[in-house]
Amino acid sequence: MDALREIDDPEVPVGIVDLGLIRNVRVEGGLVTVEIAFTSLGCPCRELLMESVRERLLPLPGVEEVRVEEVFHRWSAADISSTGLRVLRAHGIT
Amino acid sequence: MRVDDEELQVRLAGGGMVAGPDDASDGYLKALTHLLVSVADSELFGMPNLFNAVQDAPSASAYLGGMAILQDEVAHALVAYRLLADLGVDTHHLLYERPAAECRHAYSFDIPQHRWAEFAVNSAFLDRAGFHLLGDAYHHTSYAPWRRALAKVHREETFHIRMGERWMRLLGEEDEGRAQVQRAVDWMFLMGLEFFGQPDTLKRNVGQLRYRLRSKSNDELRQDWLDDTAALCHRLGYAVPTHRDDETGRFVVDCPFPADFDEENKRWKLEEGPVGWDSVLARWRRRGPLIDWCLAEIRAGHHEVFGSENGGSARD
Repeated sequence: MDALREIDDPEVPVGIVDLGLIRNVRVEGGLVTVEIAFTSLGCPCRELLMESVRERLLPLPGVEEVRVEEVFHRWSAADISSTGLRVLRAHGIT
Repeated sequence: MRVDDEELQVRLAGGGMVAGPDDASDGYLKALTHLLVSVADSELFGMPNLFNAVQDAPSASAYLGGMAILQDEVAHALVAYRLLADLGVDTHHLLYERPAAECRHAYSFDIPQHRWAEFAVNSAFLDRAGFHLLGDAYHHTSYAPWRRALAKVHREETFHIRMGERWMRLLGEEDEGRAQVQRAVDWMFLMGLEFFGQPDTLKRNVGQLRYRLRSKSNDELRQDWLDDTAALCHRLGYAVPTHRDDETGRFVVDCPFPADFDEENKRWKLEEGPVGWDSVLARWRRRGPLIDWCLAEIRAGHHEVFGSENGGSARD
């Protein structure tokens, strides 16, 4: 999860973990599966973010394969962490 | 005269900001207006052209990404035109009445784009040019309303560049895609170099630097863009006429620049050698082949509702 915290959303100045996009992470041997939800069905950054997750996790020790699965969980501003909300407010996004 | 110009320059030299139009001198407002018009025009007037290129998107997801970028650009244009309206500029005239020759957007947007590869390179190259220009303003401009507004713009341009780079890489994984991207690189690379305007030695309008509307000169911004773009192309294996200078570590252009452009075939006439910047300015003033159509597309909705300037208007 710490590695995933380093990935920023391409359009707002908050990481994807603080934005509430990462729904679950499972580690089974060398296989890491990340479940990710997006802010909308038409999110233009889907593939970019899924690629960023793979690129960030693959080099980690012990990781042989990364699967990124989109889950269709409803996302809302309530999913943003308090840190994320603070950063957004500081940038004028409420 | 709102504020004494000499007093303002002392304030700006000390790092002070300008809070709004009533906090500025006439000279400051003139320089600011000049800059914002070219920014606003460049965000908006290329959109119909780029919309065509997005229709060639290879997947639904790519299409959504392309349309999101266009939506962002229209919003960026709105930001700039709104700032202009707050300065008392007649934005209705700018948008719906001004003749083509007075439009100030980058010339490259008047050259037709039909392929997704062109859209990708446009995002990676020309959004990057905008990123450098507006990024400098975001970090350094003395005009507070613009600095606040650029927080959103700067961030979104980052996404546009990343998307463009990604698709330059993905298309390059197959021979036909790579060839299409290379053809786009061939005509857009010098467009990116031109984007930043005349060299510093020829620049007469230095108000933007004097009033700290931006901090870097045309040549400094051009060099920053060149370093980024050349490094990208070298990394992805696309040919650009550059090499890295061993002494400075910075990239140098290896072809005639500026040069004349063959609009019909979308190619630079490098074999004719370099041309003077007066020739470039003349080309920009003539505008490119798509200008009339782009303006008509942007104005169509407005004219449909309110009538054209010739046919009467609900404003009359």
